[in-house]
Amino acid sequence: MALVQVSGLSFRYSGAEKAALSDISLSLEKGEFAVLCGSSGSGKSTLLRMLKRELTPLGDKTGEILYSGRPLEELTERESAASVGFVMQKPEQQIVTDKVWHELAFGAENLGIPRDKAARRIAETASWFGIGEWYERDTAKLSGGQKQLLNLASVLVMQPELVILDEPTAQLDPIAASEFITAVRRLNQELGITILMAEHRLEEAVPGCDRLLVMENGRLIADGAPGEVIGGLRDRPELLCGMPAAARLHTLLGAKGECPLTVREGRDLAASYIGDKRPSLPAVEYTVPEEKALEFDDVFFRYSRTSPDVLKGLDLSIGRGELFCILGGNGSGKTTALSSACALVKPYSGTIRVFGKKLKEYRNQSLYRECLALLPQDVQTVFLRSTVREELKDAGITAQELPFDITHLLDMHPYDLSGGEQQLAALAKVLAQKPKLLLLDEPTKGLDAAAKENMIKVLRSLRDSGVTVVTVTHDVEFAAGCADRCALFFNGRAVSVGTPAEFFPENSFYTTAAVRMTRGMADGVVTVSDAAEVCRMAGEGV
Amino acid sequence: MRSFSEYDPIVIALYFMSVTGIAMFCHHPAVTVIALAGGLLFYLKRNGRANARFHLFLLGLFAVLALVNPLISHNGETVLFVVNDSPVTLEALLYGLNSAAMITAVLYWLRSFTEIMTSEKLMRITGALSPKLALALSMSVRFVPMFGTQARKINDTQKTLGLYREDNVIDGVKGSLRVFDILITWALENGIITADSMEARGYGSGKRVPYTDYRFRRWDWLLLASDAVLLAVCIAAIAADGLDINFYPRIVSPGMTPLTAAGLAAYGLLVLLPVIIDTEVDIRWRLYRSAD
Repeated sequence: MALVQVSGLSFRYSGAEKAALSDISLSLEKGEFAVLCGSSGSGKSTLLRMLKRELTPLGDKTGEILYSGRPLEELTERESAASVGFVMQKPEQQIVTDKVWHELAFGAENLGIPRDKAARRIAETASWFGIGEWYERDTAKLSGGQKQLLNLASVLVMQPELVILDEPTAQLDPIAASEFITAVRRLNQELGITILMAEHRLEEAVPGCDRLLVMENGRLIADGAPGEVIGGLRDRPELLCGMPAAARLHTLLGAKGECPLTVREGRDLAASYIGDKRPSLPAVEYTVPEEKALEFDDVFFRYSRTSPDVLKGLDLSIGRGELFCILGGNGSGKTTALSSACALVKPYSGTIRVFGKKLKEYRNQSLYRECLALLPQDVQTVFLRSTVREELKDAGITAQELPFDITHLLDMHPYDLSGGEQQLAALAKVLAQKPKLLLLDEPTKGLDAAAKENMIKVLRSLRDSGVTVVTVTHDVEFAAGCADRCALFFNGRAVSVGTPAEFFPENSFYTTAAVRMTRGMADGVVTVSDAAEVCRMAGEGV
Repeated sequence: MRSFSEYDPIVIALYFMSVTGIAMFCHHPAVTVIALAGGLLFYLKRNGRANARFHLFLLGLFAVLALVNPLISHNGETVLFVVNDSPVTLEALLYGLNSAAMITAVLYWLRSFTEIMTSEKLMRITGALSPKLALALSMSVRFVPMFGTQARKINDTQKTLGLYREDNVIDGVKGSLRVFDILITWALENGIITADSMEARGYGSGKRVPYTDYRFRRWDWLLLASDAVLLAVCIAAIAADGLDINFYPRIVSPGMTPLTAAGLAAYGLLVLLPVIIDTEVDIRWRLYRSAD
C-alpha cells in the first residue's frame, strides 16, 4: 500500500486568482526517496505543505490526500504531528529553543512522551547524527550546517515515517549541504524512512534517489526514475540547466542509452566519444586590464586582539572592468576581504586601494557615492520599506534604468519575494548608487538554476557597461560560467589566480563537474558545453 | 562526590530560601551572626580571595546601615548620649547593628546564589513551576541576541548604502528609526516560521510533558531532607518565641532555653551544609588523586 496517495489535488490560495496547484496525482511508496524539482514559484512548497496537515495553507482545495490509506484530515493531531516530519529552508528560524538538548526534546515534549522514553529517543537520535559533542551548547552558537542537522534530528526524535524537506540546503555552503544530503540519504537507506525532498542542488540529490518529480506552473509534469525523467526534458533547457552535469552532457550530445547521473558515469560517456584522442579547445587570450579597480597590498586583519588573523597578508589586484570571482571555503577570509574593501572593518596592517586611491582618502561616505557598492550575503538587510517601489524611490532610481526587469515585482513586499527576486530587487537598490565597483557576497545563495543563469546574465551586462564586478562565491559552477578571472582563497590569502580556463583544469577538487568528467581526456574544458564541444570534435575525428 | 552547585537547582533554590528566610525573619543577634558567618564562609570557599571590591562594598554598606538607625530612630530607654538635642539610645544602636549584619549576610548568600544559578538552572526551576513560562523564557533567551545580530547586519549594509551620513545627526536618527521599523517586520516574519516549525512538531496537540536532563538523585533527596529537618527545628523554636529578641523599648531576650539552643544549633548546621559538602568533595578528590 502506498504511504501517501494524492489524487486530483488542486489548490488555490484564498484571495488568489490563479490556482497554485492543479490536478496533481502522485503516490509515494514506503521507503522511497523522491526528489521534487522545478523553478521557484512552480508550487513545490505549496504541494509539500499540503502533505503536512499542520502547515496546510488556507484556500480552496479539491481532490484527496490519503496517508496510509486514510484521509489526511482523519489522523489524530498527535499522529499527524509525529508521523510526518517537515524541515524547512531557513536553518535559524526553525529552531525554537535556546539549547540543543531542549530543541531535540521539543517534539517529544509536545507529544507527551514520558521522560524515560523521551530520553532514550533523544540519546539515540543525537548519537546517530553525531550531535553528542554539541548536545549542551546554545543553539545560537552552531554553524548553519549544524543548525539544519539539528532541525532534521529534532524531527526524527518523533519517529516519523515520512520526512518532507523543503529546499533544506538552500542556505548552506556546499560542504555542509553535501553532508546534509548524505544524512538524509542515510535516513532513507539505513532506517527505511520515506523521503520527499524539494531541492535546487540536484547534482548531489538526484544520484541515488528513486524518483524525480518535476513541477511547472502548479502541475506535475514528470514523475519517474531520474534517468528517464531527465531524458524526457531534452527540449526544456530552463529545467534541464539544474540537472547533474553528466545528465546535461548526455542531453547536449543527444546520446542514446541510459542517462548518466554521477561524474563517474559522465566520464564513461565522455570516454565513449573521445576514445584515446586528446582534443583540446583553443585557448582564449585574456589580458588583465592595466588600470586597477581594487588592490589589496599585504593586508592583515583580525577581529580582536587575541583572535587569530582572518586575513594574513592578502595580496590581490583586480583590473578595471573585470568580472572577478573569489572562491574558497568557510573561514578562508573571502567575506572579510569584501568587508575590508568597503571599510566596514579596518585592517591593522597593509593598504587597500580603490581606483588607485587609499581607502582612508575617501572621506565622509564618498566611497559609497558613485564609487563602490556592496550587495551583502543576507540581502534582506538591504530592504527598509514595505514595497519594492518605495525602496527604489528612496534610493532614487526607476525600474526603467535597470539592466534587468523587475517591473512585475514593484508592488510586493521585499520579504515576500523568492530568493532570486530578492537578489534582483536588492541589486536594483544597490545599483542606485551608480557604483563603478560592485561587490557581491554569495549572490547565488538559495537560487535555483534558472535564477543563477539569470544572475550570470545580469553580472555580464553590468560588466559590459563598464562596472567592475567582484563576486565572492562558494559556487564553482557559477564562477566557471561567468568569471573573467577567479581566485582561490585559503587561510586568509589568495593562493591562486587565473582565468577559468587556467584556474579550473589545474584544481583537482575545487573545480567544475565538467573538468572532473574530462580530466586526462581533453584540455581547455571548463563548462558542460565545453565538454560537449570536445566530445563532438573527437566524434568528428579531429 | 558532587559539589553543592551541582545539586538539583530546585533543592539549591529551596536551601537558599530557607537560609535567607530565617535570617530575615528572626531578630536574634545569634541567628544574624550565624547567617553572616556562614554566608561569608561559603562565599570565600567558592571565590577565595578574589572580589575584594565586593567585600569592601558590603563593609561600607554595613557601616552606613548600622550608623543610620541610631541617628534616625530614637526609640529605646537607655540613652547613651545626645546629639543635636536628639537622644541616641543603646537599643537603637544594637538594632541597627543587627539589621545591618542581617542585610549583609543576606547579600552574601544572594551573591553565591546568583553565581550558582546559571540561566539553564533557572530554566529548570521555572520549568518545574510552569512549563509554558519556561518555554517562553527559553525562546526569548534565544531571540534577543538574534535580534541584536540582525540589527547590526542591517546597520552595516545601510551604512554602505549611504543611509547614515557622518555629518548629519538628524539623518542618523531617521535612519535608525527606519532600521528599527524593518526589524519589527523581520521579527514577525521570523516568528511565522518558528510558529510553523513548532506546530509541525506537534505543539498544542495535547498536554506537554516537559523534558529535563535533571533528575532527583539520592543526594538531592538527602540534602532536601536535611534542609527540611533543620528548618523544622528552627521553625519550632521560632513558634515558641525562642528565637526573637525584642529591642524596643528595652532589650528582652528569651534567654537560653533548650528550644533556643536547639534552634541555633540547627540553623548553624543548616548554614554550614554547603561548606561541609564542598569540603568533603575537596578531601575526597585529594584522596582520589593521591591514590594513583
